[in-house]
Amino acid sequence: MNSDVILFENVSKFYGEVLGVNKVNLHIPSGITSLVGPNGSGKTTLMNLMTGLVHPGSGKITVRGISPFAPEKLMRIMGYATQYDAAPRGVTGYDFVLAGLLLYGYAPGEAEKRAWKAIETVSLTQSAERKVAAYSKGMRQRIRLAQAIAHEPQVLILDEPLNGLDPLVRAETIAMFRNYASEGRHVILSSHVLQEVDVFSDQVILIANGMILAEGEIKNVREEIHEHPSQFLLHCQEPSRVAAMLFEGGQVTEVKLDPQGRGVLVLTRQRDAFAEAIERIALSGIEIDGVIPTDENVDALYEYLIGGGR
Amino acid sequence: MSPLAQIWTIAKLEIGRAFFSRRALWVYLLALFPAVIFIGHGLDAKIKRDRWTGRSIASPVAIDSLSPGMSPEQVIEKVGNPQDNRTWQGRHRVESKDNDKVIIEKTEMRSMFYFDGTRRNDLRFENGKLNRISKNQFVSFEEDRKVYAAVFQYFYLRLAIFFGCLGIFINLFRGEMLDKSLHFWFLAPVRRDVLLLGKYCAGLIAASVIFGSGALISFCAMVGFQDPTQIQSYSQGEAAIHLGWYVLSAVLGCVGYGSVFLAAGLLLRNPIIPAVVVLLWESINGFLPDLLQKLSVLHYLQSICPIPAPVDDNVPPVLRMILSPAAPSSAWVAILGLLAFTALVLFAATHAIRRLEINYGTE
Amino acid sequence: MAVFRRGYERYNGPLTGTAARLLVMPRFAWERILSHRFVVVLLMASMFWPLACIAFIYVSNHADTLLGATGVSSGFSKMLEINGKFFNVFMSVQVVFGMILAAVAGPGLIAPDLANNGLPLYFARPLSRWTYVLSRMIVLLGLLSLVTLIPGLLVFGMQVSMAGTTWLSNHWSIGGAMVFGFLLWMVIVSLVAITSSAYVKWRVVAGALVLAFFFVTAGAATIVNQVLRVQWGSLFNPGYAIGFVWSATLGLEPPEDGPGVYQYVLSLSVTIVILGAILMRKLRPVEVVS
Repeated sequence: MNSDVILFENVSKFYGEVLGVNKVNLHIPSGITSLVGPNGSGKTTLMNLMTGLVHPGSGKITVRGISPFAPEKLMRIMGYATQYDAAPRGVTGYDFVLAGLLLYGYAPGEAEKRAWKAIETVSLTQSAERKVAAYSKGMRQRIRLAQAIAHEPQVLILDEPLNGLDPLVRAETIAMFRNYASEGRHVILSSHVLQEVDVFSDQVILIANGMILAEGEIKNVREEIHEHPSQFLLHCQEPSRVAAMLFEGGQVTEVKLDPQGRGVLVLTRQRDAFAEAIERIALSGIEIDGVIPTDENVDALYEYLIGGGR
Repeated sequence: MSPLAQIWTIAKLEIGRAFFSRRALWVYLLALFPAVIFIGHGLDAKIKRDRWTGRSIASPVAIDSLSPGMSPEQVIEKVGNPQDNRTWQGRHRVESKDNDKVIIEKTEMRSMFYFDGTRRNDLRFENGKLNRISKNQFVSFEEDRKVYAAVFQYFYLRLAIFFGCLGIFINLFRGEMLDKSLHFWFLAPVRRDVLLLGKYCAGLIAASVIFGSGALISFCAMVGFQDPTQIQSYSQGEAAIHLGWYVLSAVLGCVGYGSVFLAAGLLLRNPIIPAVVVLLWESINGFLPDLLQKLSVLHYLQSICPIPAPVDDNVPPVLRMILSPAAPSSAWVAILGLLAFTALVLFAATHAIRRLEINYGTE
Repeated sequence: MAVFRRGYERYNGPLTGTAARLLVMPRFAWERILSHRFVVVLLMASMFWPLACIAFIYVSNHADTLLGATGVSSGFSKMLEINGKFFNVFMSVQVVFGMILAAVAGPGLIAPDLANNGLPLYFARPLSRWTYVLSRMIVLLGLLSLVTLIPGLLVFGMQVSMAGTTWLSNHWSIGGAMVFGFLLWMVIVSLVAITSSAYVKWRVVAGALVLAFFFVTAGAATIVNQVLRVQWGSLFNPGYAIGFVWSATLGLEPPEDGPGVYQYVLSLSVTIVILGAILMRKLRPVEVVS
């Protein structure tokens, strides 16, 4: 049994007749992993499955070798900041964090020390004695984060953790994720905004309609999708001629002149053949100043994958 | 951390909410209502005794010599002036047989009240003739103990503890689901069955303290206003035993009903339906065969009550349906039976909680 | 000074009336409530007693034919008589179904709006608190009519059709008393249900509170009567008070001792005022931190 990874083996979950996730196979190593998909795609279901809040209809899950059906073991190494906004009725922020630590088994003195430390980490010291119900959305987000990190878990799972955070706290939070990941821990977070997480994620899992569409480093994911048409901007001297030559070669799907007059915008599914075509054009004497990929960013990938392709 | 330590930690975290939430206020009201009424009864008896003994006290012999058909004047001549004397006009509807029409008959009514030192004597006259004499002990310890037994069994066990436990124990899981905060408990490094027992202990401690104290206070209030010599003889005799059984019965009521409502909160989305079913089951229990009677929390609780509750003819029909005597079991059978029943229900609840998923969208 | 072009123009077309707007909420609520299997089962179960009563009316009106030559004794004839007592029994049984229905369906009307802070959304529309309450009450009144008023009128209609106009001319007041009695009961039960719903916010607990209200007040009133050896304790029992008012309006003999019908009417009025006050206090378009 692999004790350093989170494993999903052919996991399916249905809520009655509604699909949660379907036949999911995942192998999540330590580091920062982002689950990305539109609303209702199954991100939270995956997280709830990992944490044992919902049970799989079929398949098997292990988190660092522990089954989610054993919360007494799993929750010793795991912290989960859920999307659910509520805390138990009437509790203050401090009580909320402290209660989790007491249940963990810390002695009251140690639990209090750790609770204050976690609250300080999320910059909520001033409001710790106020009731959670009176917190703003961002503050609730932070107190949930504090509760999840207070016992310094090996696996930190965060459902849309950056929602509602102000830029400063957001930067600090991301720095904390990086720090956790650098220590060999798992940080798994979800988002429906890919560019929000791709800059600090070690890997992404793209999910839509309960299915895993892609898994791995963003760059690798991008390369594995051969059918995905890539867009390039060719900076050249004779755009019309270049466009004609590209069409003749048949390596492009679409060619249009750049409205800003910088050259030609090309859409192709055959990147290698397109590279050879450019070489031929250059050798023919047409000056090509540069080839710039215009959609080598996560948005294009996201749109392609989640939107079902062009 | 051992499971027992975890159970205690969970109970400590929960117990404050069970005791001090604003919603717990009505549970206190239910628990303390009989005590308030018994205290009121004691004060009322003292005030009335002082007032009546300040006026003329009728001779018990003269009262006993009254017979129906006497006129008010004859009664006054024999017994003296009453403490209270009222007249009014009564109206009776009579359906005419001939033409199916309703006729209203008028009657001259009069009531007199005499106090003979120990009894309240109410005389009722209709059209100038004595037609009803009602003699009741003014304050009878024996009667008050029977009233307490009836209040304890019909109100306290069947209604106050029933609805109090419904509120407290359903709150523990179903309430958290409605508040969308149950996941917080599920994310603790605690086995689900340990969590269930921790929460059950919190509810049980709160309910037992509230209702046990309620039983104790109302019992003391009932006894405290009696004649000092009677109090002394009772306290040297059965008082402590009776009180002990009443408090134990209240606590066991919390044990039994608590487990039922905890399980109902876990197993069903709308625990009101099982609550109605349990209420009806407990109500008709006395009419069922012996074997079925034993499948009721109330049967065991009534079995360990020291004084059987009398069935009162004046109880309204809705309550009369509830008032049904059950064949008592022996005290040990009752206690062990109830504990076995509770263990069975909690066992079913642990199965339910292990399967429970967080899916607030369906609440 | 910058002058911007005014592009906004409010809607100037016709608007529906207050009554039409009022019925928007009940329309969806009825649909939702009637989709619950338990409610449907309860509605069906509530039809058995009226059917039994109709059968009794048939027997009562055809006793001579059914019993043939043996004839009907005067005692038996009195037992079969359709009068205020008969309708009192009919109403007393029928309202048990109504009470369970109110406990199941009533709390879902306001509690979810409060629990999810939905009231500001309603009050952001041209809707006053009274209109909101009224619309919620209409839902329950409509539903409770199905188990009370409508079967009641059916039973009364059956008796009139079989006994003829002479009976109607002598007993029309029974019909009026039944309609008044059921309306009074429905208003109080609806008010209890929606006040419970507003008071505790949780649907399930509110359901328990509806039942507890009637059972516990009955128990508490009995305690007062038994412990203090009085009769006025019954004034705290709304269920008994309603029953007393029914008996009076149906022309039945009231008990000799204890409060009279006017005292019970007063106690019910006070109950209505208290429930209304709680309701108005709880229904505020603000988010309450707890």
